[in-house]
Amino acid sequence: MTGLSKVEISYIRSSLLSDPPLRADGRAPEDFRPIAVETGVAPLANGSARVSIGQPRAGRGHEAEGAGGGTEVVAAVKLEVDGVGDDEEGGKVICSVSCSPAAYPHLSSPALDDLQSDLTSLLGSVLSHPSLCPQNLVIVPGQKAWALRLDTIVFADAGNVVDCLMLACRAALVDTRVPSTRSVEYRAPGRQSGTLNEVPDDLMDVDQSRNGPSSMLETRDPSSAVDFELADYWDEGKVLESRDSWPVCVTLNMLPTIHFLDATSQEETAVPLRLHTMFSFPGGKPTSHGMRMAGAGTSDMTQIGLLLKHAEKYARNMWIGLEAKLAEEEARRSVKAREKFYGGRRR
Amino acid sequence: MAQSTFDRRRVNGPEESFSPVFDEEDDAELGWTVKHGRGLADIRPIFLQPGLVSQANGSAYIETEKTKLACAVYGPRQSKTTTYSERGRLNVEVKFAPFSCVRRRSPLRDAEDRAVAIAVYQSIVSSICLELFPKSTIDVFIVVIENDGIEGCIASGSIAASTALADAGIEMLGLVASCSAGVRGDEIRLDPVEKEAAAADGTVILACMPALSSITNVYQSGRVSVQGALKCMELCQDRCIDVHAVMAQSLLSSRTSTG
Repeated sequence: MTGLSKVEISYIRSSLLSDPPLRADGRAPEDFRPIAVETGVAPLANGSARVSIGQPRAGRGHEAEGAGGGTEVVAAVKLEVDGVGDDEEGGKVICSVSCSPAAYPHLSSPALDDLQSDLTSLLGSVLSHPSLCPQNLVIVPGQKAWALRLDTIVFADAGNVVDCLMLACRAALVDTRVPSTRSVEYRAPGRQSGTLNEVPDDLMDVDQSRNGPSSMLETRDPSSAVDFELADYWDEGKVLESRDSWPVCVTLNMLPTIHFLDATSQEETAVPLRLHTMFSFPGGKPTSHGMRMAGAGTSDMTQIGLLLKHAEKYARNMWIGLEAKLAEEEARRSVKAREKFYGGRRR
Repeated sequence: MAQSTFDRRRVNGPEESFSPVFDEEDDAELGWTVKHGRGLADIRPIFLQPGLVSQANGSAYIETEKTKLACAVYGPRQSKTTTYSERGRLNVEVKFAPFSCVRRRSPLRDAEDRAVAIAVYQSIVSSICLELFPKSTIDVFIVVIENDGIEGCIASGSIAASTALADAGIEMLGLVASCSAGVRGDEIRLDPVEKEAAAADGTVILACMPALSSITNVYQSGRVSVQGALKCMELCQDRCIDVHAVMAQSLLSSRTSTG
């Protein structure tokens, strides 16, 4: 990333390897910088979140955490209606990462494009995997489904951008509400049970009781729905089904003999090898959703086994913290929404 | 895969196209139960031939049943950029032939090319003594002629690239062998074909230098338990020793045959 001289690199390395390990901002090796999460930051998106790692909370200059501020990422989910092909299940997750040139002033624009596409493919290979595709993205089986577009923007990079991206993605996906829909089909008036039925006066009647089809052209097969409409309902819809399996990422920075978390960009440059691990804990059971190595160093089997154990522990802590924060955010926002709703009513 | 830039230099295919439907009896959802007459811990037979591209400094062609790819290495040669670099640069480019997959691939560069290139780069970069080549670049070009699963592609690509680098006489710490595995439930299958990989819960690709018993790349995707992933990596590492023997043998025989 940023250019560091050999001397600087060896300075950082030797202080990390000293006993006890020393870091420029005084953290212990397994300490993260403070993480701030806020959901619902993009009002036009179906779900969104802003995550910053290491941003001092009380404004600029207050207990400056390193010189360069923090890593800051915004993720937003937009749902789009999409046709479903012949042999597809329907519903897909499409990820994209864009990096603001402001975050990488030292990179030329082709290098920035490469970085963007690398991060996009990393995110895509983890989150767009068929094993994670939520079932309730299907609108009309075999015909229409939501395409979930997860767009993230890196506004500032002070190291550890992958962890930050994955945190933002998980927060945005948990925040996502899928609009409730109702299937619609056409029914020929009065054809159903002979002449007993009067021709209904409301031909475009929509079944209020359930999500099943109704109206106009009658067919008995419930899967013959041709279209859908949005239900007019007070809340924004349902949460995504696979909510508790969107993973968080923990990046282990490996210097021979030690590993540490949440590297700043200087530390990132000084480290020969990194291991990105993506974990989720649906029902408390750890599941790995991705592992990537990056850097020019090597490792071995015993070290990786050991690191994965540590990574699982770190990821669990992060998971629990994020869950608590997201629950808090949800409560805060639903109170706000309720106040707005009833406030509007009373007036 | 919305093409934002229209390719004006070629005759483009129709806007919408459909892949042919084959009348196979063991098709579709059978994926995981597909029979190919090898055990769970067996990999597909490897055909590896170094020195196929005569104009390159080193090259290799690898074929594992339906995965076929060619790799050429140029360099170490002078970097095009004027900035001084103390270490050599490794540049890996992967290209899929338009006819390499079931669905036609556009000749333009797409995201998957680069994803494979990064994985191959990561596998081989730590094996090369880049500190011996200041100011220079080593270019590795991989063309996928037939593709049977992206996992096999990355694994074979790494093997071919490492063989081609050795064929070019570039100093390395060791040959990089690579192997992939698919997990479904508790069952682990090595070297899954495309259908198996699609039916699997998760996949693991491991690249290592068996001579040094060090691991250069781990690439896991999908849903795998931690124990499962470790088990996969151990199985892959064992199999990489065999792959390493194949690589060494092919390099030796190509040297003796050319004199």
